[in-house]
Amino acid sequence: MYFLKEQLKLFECNKVVNWHEHVRDNNRGQLDEEQCDFLVEAAKRAYMDVLVVSRPISGGSPTPEMFRAKNNVVAAAMKRYPQIIKGMAYVNPGYMKESLYEIDRCIKELGMTGIKLYNQYFISDPVVRPVIEKCIELDIPILSHAGKLNTVPNPQPTISDGTHFAEAARNYPEAVFVYGHIGGGGDWQWSLKAIADYPNVYADISGSVYDEGIIEQAVSYLGAGRLLFATDGSFSQGIGKLLGANISQEDKITILNNPAFARYLERGL
Amino acid sequence: MIYDVNTYIGHWPFRKIRNNTPEELVKKMDEVGISVACVSSVHSVFYKDAMEGNTELAEETRPYKDRLLPFAIINPLYPAWKKDFLTCIEKMNMKGLELYPYYHRYDLNCPEAVELVRMAGDLGIPVHLPCAIVNVRQRHWMDTNENLNIGQVERLMELCPDTDIIITNGPSEQIAAKLKKATQGRKGKVFYDFARVEVFPVRGQKTNFQALVEAAGVDRIVFGSCLPFQYAEPQMVRLNQMGLKDEDMEKILYKNLQTLLTEKK
Repeated sequence: MYFLKEQLKLFECNKVVNWHEHVRDNNRGQLDEEQCDFLVEAAKRAYMDVLVVSRPISGGSPTPEMFRAKNNVVAAAMKRYPQIIKGMAYVNPGYMKESLYEIDRCIKELGMTGIKLYNQYFISDPVVRPVIEKCIELDIPILSHAGKLNTVPNPQPTISDGTHFAEAARNYPEAVFVYGHIGGGGDWQWSLKAIADYPNVYADISGSVYDEGIIEQAVSYLGAGRLLFATDGSFSQGIGKLLGANISQEDKITILNNPAFARYLERGL
Repeated sequence: MIYDVNTYIGHWPFRKIRNNTPEELVKKMDEVGISVACVSSVHSVFYKDAMEGNTELAEETRPYKDRLLPFAIINPLYPAWKKDFLTCIEKMNMKGLELYPYYHRYDLNCPEAVELVRMAGDLGIPVHLPCAIVNVRQRHWMDTNENLNIGQVERLMELCPDTDIIITNGPSEQIAAKLKKATQGRKGKVFYDFARVEVFPVRGQKTNFQALVEAAGVDRIVFGSCLPFQYAEPQMVRLNQMGLKDEDMEKILYKNLQTLLTEKK
């Protein structure tokens, strides 16, 4: 038995770039090769051509030693699958000097594609400004963990929502921001409306939430040209929500391999 | 053929939802290949008197009785709940009971809820317990901040051992593992859907779906789409990736649920 046979040709017949995935480390702090292998195997089964991965630290305020180690895990994954895996450098902007050095190291020496920020600071926080300016200098995108969480109490008090991205985009119209996982939980309508008028803010469609209408509204507010295909651990949802969306085939193809981001993938070692 | 355990009709107060009339729902089911769906009324969740929503549901689904199987939503803390439940089952021919303790604000182990669930068991009526309608992290500020309390479900299973229970729209592999011990020795069966269960090996060799099969068995897994709140296509992607033999796939697609809804008690 096979379902969506015709629809899945969209993935089979077009280049698919997954802009939000993660590799993990083992208990020795090295790349979990088995997880990496299975992730790549899953990607192949889903006709994904490129996986852009990172290894952020979700709690506390990670030290430079900690984020450097995580970026080394990403670099190991890139080395293991150079044709498929691209890397995003994770930094904690609270360590300004070390973060700038690490971005240089990851981009220039390790061949990474952009940076990944987590929830240590709002993306509009002045602490993040030197990092944004470094990314402008290097012409690399800034993917940030994001969500307008309505849970009480909010377990992530400094997670960025659409309004924070809008403020950062106002201050830095030449930067390229990616709102991480529009389906990652949280009020996606809030964030889509907040970033709609800022053309340098993109969004990836990943996350476990696949509310009917989420992709249609994202296209309505941002246009397909500001959306990136991604999964963030939720392959079925990421694929299914794009297949289920009532948008044009042309828009779906744009989202699967957004030409605005092609230049970032052409770099690297 | 697909039997879907979890669909709704009606207006959702916190976001515009499309395809939420019986006619539109059936059209959507046709698009994605769902033959028959259990359906409840969102209005029964939000009206003070849930029975008003049940009455609407019975009337509106009547033209689609071969496609839509109505499930009654009962608030056991509201007056006349026993009479309402019996009316839904015996006069309106509803096929199941659906409970929302996190919206109607009661403990699943309160005497009234236990009595209701026992009544369902005595009548051979399955009890559907959705973990949530929408993801808790995105809820409206006037919406509930709660999900289904699995600890209460565990105790309910002990208190009502004859009742068949269906748990949907949650981390089924984790819930099934937690409830595995409580499930054993019951006469009533416990079923799970896979609406929030990953089938790709993104985190390692064993997928969440394989963990669900281990914990519950293929005889206890049913299809649930949560239409029209969610796209149905992720479920179809999952079906493609399950890697089950045809016989087991048929159980998940329709046989398990069909049997549950039709077998003589």
